[in-house]
Amino acid sequence: MSRYMESVSEQVLVSRSARGDEQAFGVLVERYKGMLYSMSRRLMKDPGRAEDAAQESFIKAWAALPGFKGESKFSSWLYRICYNTCISELRKRKPEVELDEAMGVPVEGPVQEFRNRDIQATIQEEVSKLPDDYRAALTLYHFNGLSYEEIAKLTRKPMGTVKAHIHRARAALKTRLLERVGWDNLKEVMWQ
Amino acid sequence: MNCDEVKRSLQDYVTRELAPEDRRVFDAHLVECGECQRELALMTAVVSTLDHQPVLEPRPGFSEKVMRSLPRQRVFLLSPWWSLVLAPLLAGLVWLFRGQAARVLEAALSRSGLSQVTVPTLSLQQAGIAGLAVVLVGLAVAVGAGAYAWQVYLRD
Repeated sequence: MSRYMESVSEQVLVSRSARGDEQAFGVLVERYKGMLYSMSRRLMKDPGRAEDAAQESFIKAWAALPGFKGESKFSSWLYRICYNTCISELRKRKPEVELDEAMGVPVEGPVQEFRNRDIQATIQEEVSKLPDDYRAALTLYHFNGLSYEEIAKLTRKPMGTVKAHIHRARAALKTRLLERVGWDNLKEVMWQ
Repeated sequence: MNCDEVKRSLQDYVTRELAPEDRRVFDAHLVECGECQRELALMTAVVSTLDHQPVLEPRPGFSEKVMRSLPRQRVFLLSPWWSLVLAPLLAGLVWLFRGQAARVLEAALSRSGLSQVTVPTLSLQQAGIAGLAVVLVGLAVAVGAGAYAWQVYLRD
């Protein structure tokens, strides 16, 4: 890939890709592969399926680019394709579950030794147990940096539902963090 | 603000979505409430972890795999407007080769025993050619409409 192509603005790359320029689209793939793979990995959980979903999203984007009007950001448009791909794949394979059911039974008691990175690992592990809709909303808000309004538009859900999913998911994560780590351990790690 | 109100505003406080006035009341409560300080510390840990999730990279060779999988005729096939060009083109081709088309049609009709059928104002061959042109044009329009529907599905 030439240095010139890497320096070309996103708008130009999108417009050239829409006209069938594979080199320009290759630059977009390079720029967005991390974001799209991270997003699909967080939604799908399984690395292999996540990679397939990310690849399928790029292929769909390439096919649909002539119809991209630029009314939204290219990244938001790409996230929407990725979200639709992941959610339709997830729905093919398992039924939706409620938040309480998905988070499972509370653990016995807090572990003894804990470090700061363990807090992050615990939260990530609990995120992966969230129902698909909650995990998707949380990922789009915190990882992709979308607003409630953008998420509502992208997921075709009312904004109140999106906000409720995010709030309930965070509250569930907070509860599970406390259960698994214990306040004494957390206090020691967070305020050391 | 009491503890219940603080707990309800906790997430908006951490994500800085709380109005400045409410934030001041929230802060005033926090100073004197150990339980709410604990709730805040926990929620801050959750939000901070969620905000700082690392970008994950796919396996090496991912981009090449994507580029190899791209359909080569994308622009032509998925633009709904091409059917507007293709439809008259197909009709023109049918007209251009009407002689050959008529012979093929006649042979097919005589095999099926329908060669005596007549259509008012048009010979059977003319009607057949016109029918073929309509089918081809319809096909072109249908594919164009399908492409348009696909674009609407993915549209920004």
